[in-house]
Amino acid sequence: MKIATMFSDVVGSFWKKPATVQYPFERVEAPTRLRGKLEWDPEKCTGCSLCSKDCPADAIEIITIDKKAKRFVMQYHMDRCTYCAQCIESCRFSCIEMSDEQWELAATSKVPFEVSYGREEDLAEALAKFALADTVETE
Amino acid sequence: MEAIGNIVSLLFFPGGLFVIFAGLMYEWLDHKIIARSQNRIGPRWFQPIADAIKLLTKEEIVPDGVNPVLFAILPLIALAGALTAALYVPMAGLKPAYSFAGDLIVTVYMLSLLTLSIGLAGANAKERFSLVGSTRALTQLFAYEAPFLLALLGPAIAAGSWQISEIVAYTETHTWMMILQPIGFVVALIGLMGKLELPPFDSPEAETEIVAGALTEYSGRGLAIFHLGKGAELIIGLTLITAFYMGGVSNPVWFLVKTVGLLAVLAALQSLMTRLRIDQTVGMWWRYGALLVLLQWLIIVVVQLV
Amino acid sequence: MMLEMTQKEEKFIIPIGPQHPALKEPGHFEFAVDGELVTDATVRLGYVHRGIEKGAEARNWNQNLYLVERICGICSHIHAFTYARGVERLAEVEVPPRAQAIRVLVAELERIHSHMLWFGVAAHEAGFDTLFMFSWRDRETIMDILEGLTGNRVNYSANVLGGVKFDVTDEHRKTILEAVDFMEKRTKHYLNVVTTDAMFLQRTRGIGVANLQQAHRLGILGPTARASGVKRDVRVDAPYSAYKQFPIKMVVETAGDLEARFVVRLKELFESYRLIREILNNMPEGDLQVKRFPRRIKPGEVISRVEAPRGEVFYYIRSNGGEMPERLKVRTPTMMNMASVLAMAVGHQLADMPMLLVGIDPCFSCNDRGVAICNSKGDHDQWTWERLRQHGIDFYAEKV
Repeated sequence: MKIATMFSDVVGSFWKKPATVQYPFERVEAPTRLRGKLEWDPEKCTGCSLCSKDCPADAIEIITIDKKAKRFVMQYHMDRCTYCAQCIESCRFSCIEMSDEQWELAATSKVPFEVSYGREEDLAEALAKFALADTVETE
Repeated sequence: MEAIGNIVSLLFFPGGLFVIFAGLMYEWLDHKIIARSQNRIGPRWFQPIADAIKLLTKEEIVPDGVNPVLFAILPLIALAGALTAALYVPMAGLKPAYSFAGDLIVTVYMLSLLTLSIGLAGANAKERFSLVGSTRALTQLFAYEAPFLLALLGPAIAAGSWQISEIVAYTETHTWMMILQPIGFVVALIGLMGKLELPPFDSPEAETEIVAGALTEYSGRGLAIFHLGKGAELIIGLTLITAFYMGGVSNPVWFLVKTVGLLAVLAALQSLMTRLRIDQTVGMWWRYGALLVLLQWLIIVVVQLV
Repeated sequence: MMLEMTQKEEKFIIPIGPQHPALKEPGHFEFAVDGELVTDATVRLGYVHRGIEKGAEARNWNQNLYLVERICGICSHIHAFTYARGVERLAEVEVPPRAQAIRVLVAELERIHSHMLWFGVAAHEAGFDTLFMFSWRDRETIMDILEGLTGNRVNYSANVLGGVKFDVTDEHRKTILEAVDFMEKRTKHYLNVVTTDAMFLQRTRGIGVANLQQAHRLGILGPTARASGVKRDVRVDAPYSAYKQFPIKMVVETAGDLEARFVVRLKELFESYRLIREILNNMPEGDLQVKRFPRRIKPGEVISRVEAPRGEVFYYIRSNGGEMPERLKVRTPTMMNMASVLAMAVGHQLADMPMLLVGIDPCFSCNDRGVAICNSKGDHDQWTWERLRQHGIDFYAEKV
């Protein structure tokens, strides 16, 4: 039976730097394996859609523009993503990667969470199609 | 001229604003020392002030089933008691604003008003956590109050007076009382911790059991005023013990050094101990605290007779 | 006069939860007290029922891996591990030994962080905040390792069906070994604190005693049971995965009080440290995943058991040959231990209740899977799975 068994810790920590990290002012570098925002490479994709089938959060949509010419657009719903990296495992052509730098993804509106990946002309075409579909729906 | 002096001492120094502000600063220091001893950074210096201002500006919710007059007036009584006590102690190393024979007893009982008000405030509410908290607060009051008072009377007996200014004059000219009466000093220090409901005597407000104890239903202004009262008690208690046991407080610099040193000891004790259950608190005070302080008295009396 | 009468008849009940500073998750406890003494205790669970078992039936085998991982925030890997083991056995796929070793490595790291988390919370419930702060500071080294190793601090997602996602490099090996050394030193210190600090022992020694008979009768699991002398640990009784190659010693205490629960958990950490060192020094070579894992799994049913930090996690998985499981049933240790809290509570002080509750290391979101429907009349009615299913079908049929 003793008293004050934490004495050495308590006194010792007066001479120690506090363990607190004052985050926004003081940053610790993220490990390289950190799972951040998805990045998609349109050149390698074959449009198998396994990534979107296996996504537990329904965060990936692969939009086919021209299957033969291998023209696809990926619609990435970042707000739904759980950063589990199953899509990376499911993709057999390794066209998906996760960034270890972009992980501070909070935003005040939903707009930045809708990310579209793809070649520029494909994106433009997909956008036109969607706009068309939208107008059809509203009519 | 005397009227102006009275107003100043009641509103600004040593009662009133000075004690409130100094209490908040000491509270910050207490938090900061504890945080550093736990390897954390701790709050910035204006945190308690910001808290107090925030609470004062917030809406006060009067719960169903309480007596609204009592609900509003109890925090004021608590703060008034603490501020009145400040008038009789040598605050900041200066002479007490008022003084008369036997003011020590009045001061100690003024300080008890806070705990009493908290207990009544808890009993006033219908909330079950408040009721348990108030029972515990009042039980604890009966546990520490007598030994604490007896411990403060030790130096009074040595000085042969129950007037704070005379006792201080005596302790300033003699060896530190904490060396002559070490038992009394320890009991007084731990009694202060019990009075302020600091860990390990924080079972009346143990958050993991009864949320905030007696003050669970308080919000806004009432809570802020209780809070200010507690800060005032902290500084008055520290002043009393320093003046009695640590060779008096002859000037503001010595006052600051001694009270801050005492506060550091208090903070270290707080961070080293586990919360006691209420039955353990009462057991400890009556089994050890009261007996020790009686032993101290016996020694004093024997020494004086010889 | 009337008032006095009713007050005498009514019990004075202290409610703890669903929102209460002592509980970080919602659960409702009612303690009838006589002064400070607890005379009766009841519990109501189910505030965080999320329909995960039902949800699993609408997701494919891969997606479920991440759904079950979210059953528990603290032992997330254990759930995915148990599920993956079950599905792999159902698909008759052999996981490469290196992958199994990495799974166990992560599981043991998770056990350390979970026990340290519990340790801090228990110290906080006792009002010893310094111990709380220091144990959580030290826990952070393990969290950093897990983040560096798997890429996330909490839901590690280390598993895929048929293996693991990542390898352990030499660099990781070095940092893990360093951290384990540091943690071992600290754990020794904490063990000294909980077994010798007089103030702390006042709150733990002889409090909430569950003896061997009681433990068997109440069916307590995990470290709580081992503190009462029950020799029950899935890692020892039915070694699975890499525990076959790297056996573990069971830590058993006999006192059955709160102190014994502290001691068992801290001593288990030493076993974890030893096992982690052993795995890292004798890491089997080989692949991390099987080449191809089937998307459809042939019909059958399987039971999978794993020792989580809190006790035994039990999964029942049934497949009908499709892409999704037909039924997934989860049983977590908290459910089994909850009854012991109520049994131990009676006769103790109100102040001991938070510590008793925390003593079993409860995880409310783990155990809330059953549903008790309260209708407006206030009488309770237990729904069977069939009835629940029929209700669901009718509900959606009506909507369409």
